[in-house]
Order: sequence, then C-alpha cells, then structure tokens
Amino acid sequence: MPEINIIEMQNVGIRYDQGPEILSNVRLSLKQGSFHFLTGKSGAGKTSLLSMMYLAQRPSRGRISVFGKDINFTNRDALASLRRRIGVVFQDFRLLDHLSAFDNVALPLRVCGMNEREVRKRVSELLSWVELDAHMLDAAATLSGGEKQRVAIARAVINRPELLLADEPTGNVDNFIAPKLMKLFVELNKLGTTVVIATHSEKLITDFPFPRLHLQNRGLYILPPAEVLSDGGVDA
Amino acid sequence: MPKTQYISRKQELPLKGDSTGLFLQVIIAIAVFIFAITLSGVLSINSILQNWHQSILGSLTVQIMPITGTDHKKTTAETLAYQDKAIEFLQTVDGVTKVTPLSDEQLKQLIQPWLGDDVNIENLPMPRIIDVKLAPNAEVDFLKLAQDLATASPQASLDNHKLWLSKLIRFADGLKLIALTVLFLVTGISAGAIFYTTRMSLGLHRHIIEILHIMGAKDTYVAQQYARRMAVLGLVGGLFGLFFAIPVILFIGTLATQIEGGIISEASLSVSDWCLIIILPLFATLIAMFTAYYTVKQTLQKML
Repeated sequence: MPEINIIEMQNVGIRYDQGPEILSNVRLSLKQGSFHFLTGKSGAGKTSLLSMMYLAQRPSRGRISVFGKDINFTNRDALASLRRRIGVVFQDFRLLDHLSAFDNVALPLRVCGMNEREVRKRVSELLSWVELDAHMLDAAATLSGGEKQRVAIARAVINRPELLLADEPTGNVDNFIAPKLMKLFVELNKLGTTVVIATHSEKLITDFPFPRLHLQNRGLYILPPAEVLSDGGVDA
Repeated sequence: MPKTQYISRKQELPLKGDSTGLFLQVIIAIAVFIFAITLSGVLSINSILQNWHQSILGSLTVQIMPITGTDHKKTTAETLAYQDKAIEFLQTVDGVTKVTPLSDEQLKQLIQPWLGDDVNIENLPMPRIIDVKLAPNAEVDFLKLAQDLATASPQASLDNHKLWLSKLIRFADGLKLIALTVLFLVTGISAGAIFYTTRMSLGLHRHIIEILHIMGAKDTYVAQQYARRMAVLGLVGGLFGLFFAIPVILFIGTLATQIEGGIISEASLSVSDWCLIIILPLFATLIAMFTAYYTVKQTLQKML
C-alpha cells in the first residue's frame, strides 16, 4: 500500500503585508503516522508554518496539499471538512473564555453536528482523563494556565484527529502532567495520528527521540533525533 | 463530578451580550410601527377603490333640469313629466338594470348641508335626479345615450361618473404608490441596519469565528447562530412596534369615519387586512433572519 502524504509543501513562502519572507522555499512531505518536533529560534516561523498546516493561512507562494487536496483548488466547505481532521493546540490556548471547560472541549464535536449524548460521553471521559473533571463547568477564563493548557489539548484530541499540531503543548503544565500529555500524543501517534509538536523544550526532545523539522535562516531542515545543531540545537 | 445531563449548551458566539441588540430592537420596532400604519393606509385605499369600482362604475346619474315659472305646481308637474319620459326611455336601453328616481326626501338630504332642515323643495327650482344602474359588463355608448335621452326628454342630461372617477382613481393610485415606496424604504433601512450591525458584530467576534473555523465550522454554522439571534431581536422588536401601531390605526380609522361625505368612511380594514398587519412581526423576523444569515455568509467568504 503506498504511503500517503498528510501534508506536502512545495516551494512555500510566506510574508506578511509587504515585509520580507519569513519562510522561503519550504519543501516538506509529512507521511501518515509520522511524529516530528518542530524546532527553531523564536521568530523563526514555527507558528506561521503551523498555521499553514492547520489551514488558517494561505502561503504567499508555493503549493500546499493537505490530505492530498491542493488548498488553492479547494472550496470553503471542503476546507472546513479538512480542518475537522486536524487537531490544534495553540501556544496561547485560544479557549473561548465565556464558555466552560466542557463547552470548549465539546466545540470540535458540535461543529461536526455530533449528537449531544455522544458529545457529553466523550467530553466528560476525556476531561476526567486530563484530571479536569472537577473544573468541567468552570468558565475557561477562571482556570489556571496549566488547566487551560489541558483543556486546549483535550479540545485538540477529542475528535481523534488524523493530524495533530501542537504549539508548545507542555509549556505551562507541571512535571507530572507534561509526560502524561506527551504519552497521550505518542499513543495517538501509535493509533495512526500524524503529530507535529513545536517546542523549545530540550528535555522533551531528548526524552522522546523523534525526528525534527528545524527552522533556520527562513528554511526548513529535517533532522534525525540525535543530531546536534551548529546554532546550539534547540533554544530552550 | 457534575452530572453531564444537566449541562446546558451555551452558544459559542456571545451575541446576547452585544450592545447593538437593543439598538436593533428599537430600529425594528419603529420600522414595524411605520410599516403597520402605512400598510393599513394601502389596504384602506384598496378597499376604497374596490368600493368605487363596485358602486359607481356600474351606474349613471341623469339630471332633469327644472322648468322655471311663477306657478310652482305647474312647473313641478312639468318637470316630473320630463322625468317620467326619461325613466320610460332609460328602461328601454340595453344594459340598464335599474332606474330609480330620487325621492323628495333624498333630494332634501342632498341639499340639507347647504340649506338646512326646513326646506320645501317644491318652492325651489330643484333638478330631479335619476339613478341608473348598469349591468356589470354593459357596453354603453354614453354619447349616443345622451343624445337619445335629450330627444326623449329635452330637459334631461346625462352625468357620466367615469371621468371624475378616473381622476380619483389615479389620485388614489398615486397615494398607494407613495405608500408602497415608504414600505420599501422602511424594509430597506431595517435590512441595512441589520447588515451593518451584523458586520460590526462579526468584527467584534472575529477571534471566536477564527477558532470556530479552525475547529472545522462551516460558514453556515456561524451564520445560523447570527440568524437565530436576529430572529429573536426581529420578533421582539416587531411585537413592540405592532403593540404601539394598533391603537394608532384604530384612532385614524375613528377619525376617518367622522369625515362627512361618505368617501373616506368607505375605507375599512377587513379581517384578512388585519391578519396581514398582525403577522408583520413574523415578517420582521424573517427579514432580520435572512439578512443576518446572508450578511455573515458574504462577509466570511473573505476569510480563509
């Protein structure tokens, strides 16, 4: 059976307004079921690259295919359908503050039109797993940084996504929760989910030996797990 | 752990908290108020036109000019003789269904507003009037009829209502057109207000909409939330507008019936007219809902 590219980028460049390109000539093929860390110094373009992957941004030039669909030739409804297959954890969580932890996690299921009984079952199970069952009905605005991060991760994985993109997913959680969350990502990966995690954490990279997509000088380099970089590796 | 069956679903877009809600409700209430009063005017004009078409278009008036002289009894008898000749002739005309001379009492009522109650018309050179009813589709050559009538009864002359009626109808049609323009403008202004407040709200909640999109929400998902909210605002605003409009419509109706002359008092709203007015809040609801829905769809097209 041929391997499927979940994401394919050819000569992708991105710039904001009339500014210089933040990323240039990016070429990338992410195979189904792969696991990568995304590294690079602050401002290297990690968030921009991720936002193109989760279809929130179009490239200034080049071609991007997600799940085999060229996004330049995909209509809005089809783009929405593609997004439903992607889970995203944002660095700043991007929870809806007026909603409860429960409603935030339920969001991806509800936009798909899942029935409320199934939504309640799945959401309460997952919130329990991330140890937030006591805060299920608390408004997101009242949660601590770590709790918000767990809600954001639960929201990203509730839909059992085929592609999981996470921007610093363990940055605000304690040493006990962080490995537990990483274990969740690894488990999802074993079940077939393609995972890309942007991180500054050297510990995470050494504890979990996965290949790296490294951004440097506006370009993207694919590095094996053990490689040490000339610029000092990850700038944790 | 809380029991999940008691968790109530909250809308992702906090539209209830939008400050524009009250503004829109007031705009819609005013729009429905103006719309209801103008619509009642249009419907009344329609009913007047219908009455005129039914009662006047199928009729003619024949006037017998009085014979003048010092002997009142004699001149009156002569005038009545001319009237009889005219009636005799009119009854033979094709298309005429009924010929009714006005009685002294009816003639008195006609001149009463000018000369008062105590008038003896026998002492006055009063013309006699004959009301002639025509069959609904009667094709009458009025010019020939006038000539034949003058031959049959030299004192008789034909008064054709059609000329002044057509002028009245044209005037009423003009009023109706103005009223319809007002209805169109009111609807347009309301839709415009909904369009701009919806766009403003979309800008305000852009960060939430972006998250919804990233989660895979289609434009219709967002549009439906706006449509539901605007439907509620439209209905509540519409009910308020109607609540204030109904007493005003009834008051104008009362004023109209007090006008002498019987033209305006013919204007009345039927049950179906009232039904049309009463369902205006639903109309406002639909306008608000569809305007918001399509505004959201159109605006979101510009986002990735």
